[in-house]
Amino acid sequence: MTDRDAVWWRVAWRNLWRNRGRTLVTASALALGYLSAVVMVGLTDGMSAELVENGTRLLSGQIQIHAPDYLPERSMHATIGGDAGTDVAALLARIDADPDVMASAPRLYGGGLVSAGERTEAGLLLGIDPEREPRVTTLLSTMDGGRTPRAGAHEVAVGSEMARQLQLGLGDEVILVAPAADGSLGNDLYTLTGIFHTGTPAIDASYAVIPLPDLQLLLAMAPGRIHEVALDVTRPWDTDAIATDLARRLQGSGPPLAVRSWRQLRPELAQSVDLMDSMNFLIVIIIFGMAVFGVANTMIIGTFERKKEFAVVRALGSTATGVGRTVVYEGIMLGALALAAGALITAPVMWWWHTAPPDLSWFVGSFSWSGAQWRPILRVEYSTETPLISAAALFLTSVFAAIYPAWKATRVPPADALADR
Amino acid sequence: MTDFPLYPIPRAALRRLARAALPAVLAGLTFAAPLQAQTAREIIDRVDRLLRGASSHGKVEMRIKTEHWSRSLEMEVWSLGTEYSLVRVTAPPREAGTATLKAGQEVWNYLPRVDRTIKVPPSLMMGSWMGSHFTNDDLVKESRIVDDYDIEIAFDGERDGVPVWEFTLTPKPEAPVVWGRIEEQVRKADLMPTWVHYYDEDGTLVRTMTFSDYKRMGGRLVPAEMRVVPTDKPDESTALIYHELEFDVGLTPDFFSLRNLRARSR
Repeated sequence: MTDRDAVWWRVAWRNLWRNRGRTLVTASALALGYLSAVVMVGLTDGMSAELVENGTRLLSGQIQIHAPDYLPERSMHATIGGDAGTDVAALLARIDADPDVMASAPRLYGGGLVSAGERTEAGLLLGIDPEREPRVTTLLSTMDGGRTPRAGAHEVAVGSEMARQLQLGLGDEVILVAPAADGSLGNDLYTLTGIFHTGTPAIDASYAVIPLPDLQLLLAMAPGRIHEVALDVTRPWDTDAIATDLARRLQGSGPPLAVRSWRQLRPELAQSVDLMDSMNFLIVIIIFGMAVFGVANTMIIGTFERKKEFAVVRALGSTATGVGRTVVYEGIMLGALALAAGALITAPVMWWWHTAPPDLSWFVGSFSWSGAQWRPILRVEYSTETPLISAAALFLTSVFAAIYPAWKATRVPPADALADR
Repeated sequence: MTDFPLYPIPRAALRRLARAALPAVLAGLTFAAPLQAQTAREIIDRVDRLLRGASSHGKVEMRIKTEHWSRSLEMEVWSLGTEYSLVRVTAPPREAGTATLKAGQEVWNYLPRVDRTIKVPPSLMMGSWMGSHFTNDDLVKESRIVDDYDIEIAFDGERDGVPVWEFTLTPKPEAPVVWGRIEEQVRKADLMPTWVHYYDEDGTLVRTMTFSDYKRMGGRLVPAEMRVVPTDKPDESTALIYHELEFDVGLTPDFFSLRNLRARSR
C-alpha cells in the first residue's frame, strides 16, 4: 500500500462516518443478512443432519461392512470370510480400534416364514448381538412392550404389524422356518418376548429379530458366520471419508471386506440431503442478492449527494480513478464493519439455536419421510464452511455494490458539478 | 403356470404313466393310422386327459446339487389326479417325517421337529420347495395344458437316429402362466419325453428338464429319472429318481388330510 493509497483509505473512512446514520443502517442490513444466511443454512443443515440421523439410526447404521459379493443379491452364503466364516470377535475388535468408530454390531440375515397358530407370514429374520445392537441402532428401543430376546433362550421379537397379522401377544409361541445353509429346512419354536414399533411399515411388517447365535443355529451356520457389521461413527457428515479410511485400515489381514457409507447404502437419503445442500446455495444467493441492491442504492445516493465534493477534489487535481477508489474502499470498509457486527450477533444466536432447539413436535407430531422417522425439531447445525462462505458473500456484496457508484463518481465533470449544471 | 412338466411329484409320475400308457391305449388306432396323422394338440391332450383321475404311490429319491451344498432326500409320494398329493421325507433321519400336502391350491408343510403344520403363504409360493430347483408353485398350479397353450409340431423327424416330435407350446393370450414358451421333445416309438425347455417371456431359456432311465414300473414304461437344470447355474441340478411306482392304488380325497400330513409313519 503506497502512501497515496493510505490517504485514499483514510478519506474513505472519513466519508463513511460523514453520515453515521446511513452507514450504520446499511451495515446493520448487511449484518442481519449475514445472520439470516448463516442461521438459514444452519437450519437446513440441521434438517439434513436429522434426516441422516433418523435414516441411519433406526436400522441401517451409518456404515455397513459386508463380504464383497454380498450386495446386491444378499445371498445367504455370502457371509464375511465366505463359507468358512471369520473370527467375529477379532473383526469387531479391529473395527472398534478405528478412532472414528463409535460402536459396531454384527448381523446375520435369513429369509423365511414366521408362523403362529393358523397364520403364517413371510419374514426377514435378523440375527443380532443383543449387547452391541442398541449402541448402533434404535430398533430395539422402539419396543412397544416386552424386552430384547436373550441368546440361547429361544426368544424372538417381531414388528408391530407382523404381530398384528399373526395375532401375536407377548409370551406366545412362534415358529420360525427358514431354508438353512446346508439345504435343510431349519425350523424351531420360539417365545415372543418383544414387539417393536418403528413407524416404518416395511420394518414393522416383516422383521423378526432373534439373537445371532440362535439364528446361526436355525440356519445351520457356524458361529463365525455373519453377513454384516453395522457401525455408528463420530462424524455422520464425513461417512464417505471414514468408510474409505476404514476400508484401507481393514485391508490386508483378515477376509476381504466391502465398506459402504450410508450415502452408498441409501442413495435416496443421500439425494434428499444433496437437495437440501443445494438449497443452501440458493439461500445465500437470494439473501445477498437482495443485499447487493440495498447497499448499492445507499451508496449511489451517497455518491450523488457528494457530487460537489467529488467535483472539488477533481478540480484540485485528483485523478478520476482516485475518486472512484475511495468509493470502493468505502464499500470494503463497510463490508468489514458489517461482517464484524454480523459475526458478533450470529455467534450467540447459533449457539442458542443449536443447544436449545425449538421442538415443534407438539405442533406437527413426528412423521415418516424418505423412509426415515423424522422429528420436527428445528435445530441448527454448526459448520465451518457456511460462516466463511457467507462472509465471502457479504464482502463481495459490499464491494460489488460499490462498483457502480464508484464508476458514477469517476464520471462527475468537475466544472459542471461545481456550476450546478 | 404351465401344466404337468412343472410338477415334479407326483404329477411327473402320472405323466410318465400317461405317456407310458399311451401306446397301449392307442394301439388299435396307431396300427391303422400312424400317430403322425394326429395333430399335436390331440397328442398332448390325450396325455393330459389320461392323467386325470389316476392315483399313484411311489418311492422317490431327490438329489439336489447347488453351489454350496448337495443332498439327497428319500421320499414317499401319494397322488390322486392333479388335485391332491402328499410327499413325506423318509431319509435322512434329520429330516424324516417332514411332509408336504397339496390339496387344490393350498400347500401345507408338516415340521416334525416342532410338531407343527404350517400353510405356505401366497408370498412364498415362488420360493424353493425343500431347497430344490422346484418352487412351491410348481406343486400347486394346475390347468390343462391344452387350455393354456397353443401347441404345434416344430420338428418331425430323426434326432441322432431316433424318430421324434418336437412341440412348441405357446401360452394363449390370457393364460395364467409364467413361461413365455415351452419346447418339448417326445420319442415317436413309445411316446416317451426326452427333454423340456422352459423359456421366460423374453425368450430366454430358464431351465431344462431331461428324462432318462426308461423302464417298466407298476406295469408301465416310465422315465425313472428326471433332472432339472437352471440355465443361469448350469452346475446346479435337482434330480428325481423313482425307485418304486405303482398305479391305481385306490386312494380317495380324504386320504389327503392335515391329519395324515402329521402322521409320522404309515
